[in-house]
Amino acid sequence: MPNGKAKDRFLKPLVADYEELLGRFQQTESVRFEEFTAIWRNMGFSSVFYGSLAGNEMREFCHLTLTMAFNYFLPPYSFQIRVGGLYLLYGLYHTQLASPKEKIRIALKDWEQIQKFYQDSVNSQHYDAVYIIRKLIAENAVLYTAMPQMLTFRVKKKPQHHKVCEEFRDRPERVKDLISTDMLQEVANIQGHHERLKASVLERSSIAVTQQDLPARLHSCVLEFLHWQDRHENHGDADHLVYAEEKAQQVESSNRAQLLASIKTKSYGCLAEASRSRRHRQVEMDTSISGTGYIKQAPKYHKSRAPSLKARTNKNLCGEGQSPGFRCKVNNSLFDFEAVDPYNDTVRAVVELIRVVHNVNEWHGTQLLLPEQKEGSCVVR
Amino acid sequence: MAAGSSSNVNENIPVFEYKDINTKPFHVGSFRTAWLEKLKPIDYSYEDKYEENEDADFAKEMGIAPETLDELKAICSVDTLRCQAEDEPLDTNVVPPDPTLQTLIQRKKKQDYKGTLRIDKISRVDHYQDELESLAVGKRPEDPVDLVPEGEIILSINVLYPAIFERFRYVRPHMTLQMLGSHSLVDLRDAICCISDLQVFGEFSNTPDMAPDFISKDHFKSAFFYFEGVFYNDMRHPECQDMSETTIDWAKTRDFPTFHKAKMEDTRFYDLKVKVGYPYLFCHQGDCEHVVIITDIRLAHKDDCLDRKLYPLLTHKHRVMTRKCAVCHVYIGRWLTTNDPFAPNDPCLFCERCFRMLHYDKKGNKLGQFLAYPYVDPGAFN
Repeated sequence: MPNGKAKDRFLKPLVADYEELLGRFQQTESVRFEEFTAIWRNMGFSSVFYGSLAGNEMREFCHLTLTMAFNYFLPPYSFQIRVGGLYLLYGLYHTQLASPKEKIRIALKDWEQIQKFYQDSVNSQHYDAVYIIRKLIAENAVLYTAMPQMLTFRVKKKPQHHKVCEEFRDRPERVKDLISTDMLQEVANIQGHHERLKASVLERSSIAVTQQDLPARLHSCVLEFLHWQDRHENHGDADHLVYAEEKAQQVESSNRAQLLASIKTKSYGCLAEASRSRRHRQVEMDTSISGTGYIKQAPKYHKSRAPSLKARTNKNLCGEGQSPGFRCKVNNSLFDFEAVDPYNDTVRAVVELIRVVHNVNEWHGTQLLLPEQKEGSCVVR
Repeated sequence: MAAGSSSNVNENIPVFEYKDINTKPFHVGSFRTAWLEKLKPIDYSYEDKYEENEDADFAKEMGIAPETLDELKAICSVDTLRCQAEDEPLDTNVVPPDPTLQTLIQRKKKQDYKGTLRIDKISRVDHYQDELESLAVGKRPEDPVDLVPEGEIILSINVLYPAIFERFRYVRPHMTLQMLGSHSLVDLRDAICCISDLQVFGEFSNTPDMAPDFISKDHFKSAFFYFEGVFYNDMRHPECQDMSETTIDWAKTRDFPTFHKAKMEDTRFYDLKVKVGYPYLFCHQGDCEHVVIITDIRLAHKDDCLDRKLYPLLTHKHRVMTRKCAVCHVYIGRWLTTNDPFAPNDPCLFCERCFRMLHYDKKGNKLGQFLAYPYVDPGAFN
């Protein structure tokens, strides 16, 4: 059993080293293993195991390195960071000095995530990531466990939660999760059903309790938000906006992998997978330029310096539960829902959504107050 | 919101009840089936996978040409991770000079500090204790019948020592056992060595030679485990009583959910519904209670000990200081005397020889008035 104090001692510098490595990897904006190993060699990361560690300390340290590295392999990190985490695990597993080797523990609850990641990598044709996952499993480097760590009910000790590094976090997709393509389809179906029933019951449909174009309006809200996200992250790169237009045509085919792949190509600029309708305009492999023929190097975008933590926190919805953009009061039977941050575009998008959805309920006697002064806020009573 | 595909909660997937502390209860057997469903048999087998087959599968799945595959293998090979040139000698015991990694900076500080100390003696016992974990690693049985089957569950169970003194609480002395899923609870019970099993009751000053004949393990055979509201009693022998009866009856009168009973020998680990990381109870000898925590449940791996006969496997055991004889300070105390005019303090420990020499004459007659009890030192299992 690892000595608690020793573990804490090792923890902080180790996490600092990981974040340094992954930060550099993130800046290369690529998911290629060669880039990763270049950084690895540059930092001399294999030496993290050197130094005489007495007795069982070496084994415990190796165990700790693998456990901490595994955190970067799971959501909420962005795809690039997750690939970096995978490479990190591979590197650590092979350069560790404990014998027999400490294994990578994969808990049952994380298996789904890993399968999705694998599938996404296969779909996006990231040969090296796929090869490495397969190799790790084939080499018996994995222990299939119930829980990622051994649990010994240490309640008194402050549990060391893994702090998610904000810079590596994936783009918040809350609006997209809220209004997914499945949901839009469902809404459209229900609407159609409703219209049909209405037509069969009444001769003239003068009563309209629903917005006729509700799905379209919801959809346009979501797209607007996505556009805004893209604009904000890539500073008006034309390819992205064009790409987003193509996305709009394909929402009906609710293909989750496509959505994900499109967002991912915006996050890292390595492999631009054209959507199905534009497959004929797919960028061809350029074997003449580099020796590695199986990858195509799309022109790298110059990402500007990442905004500060404060700016980002203000921009995104807070991840811990309470969103700073909204305030909600319940007085008697009234429900006051007030958006207090009109400058937050995300908030504005959601307010728009509320407006659209609220219109459905208009006949219930609820009121939607839209104070003129505060654009982007609304009060629902 | 119908969009939530995460609302499909599978009960057999262990999740945290309190993050990093313990999980919600789940059924061990179903957990195993859940894993086996998700994996291909080759993933958890003990055999080495042939590289050619693996490469062929990969190439087929991704649809790439053999040349690309070779290139890919070269790029992703482990050699690319090597930070030294091949011919440079490498001393992994020393932190490299001018480290840039924070871990190494910290380690170098410690190494430099250690260098300034005098030679510190590593206790031989501690050294061997660390080795205990790796003692049985990779052992294969001679008889293939005894091989742990692939896809078997291995549980790691911590059994804490009963008397934990206030000031030693943070250390939590315990023993760690590894068990197979197909073992029953009686196997666990038999593997737990507690000194209270070896206690001999009774006062033996008049008959010092008769002492070792009665040990508590033979007298009081009842025991029970408590997991998730169920008491598992040991009913193998006719003299075993149901010790959980009292607790269950008491609980009925109070505001507790009803507890159930089951037999220890009929329950295998696969049938249990437990929380990982949560303390449970093992009680024997009527009042000797041990806290039992299941720390880990996983599928068996090639590098584990694969010999069924070696399980339950002891991987860790806290060493307890032994109390020596008050006279010679060499041998471990075997007798405890009270009301003894010969002894410097009350009660007093003696080893066998000093005890005889001091309290009995050459013919074996008792000298003086005293009470003597056989003493079993807690460090007897070291």
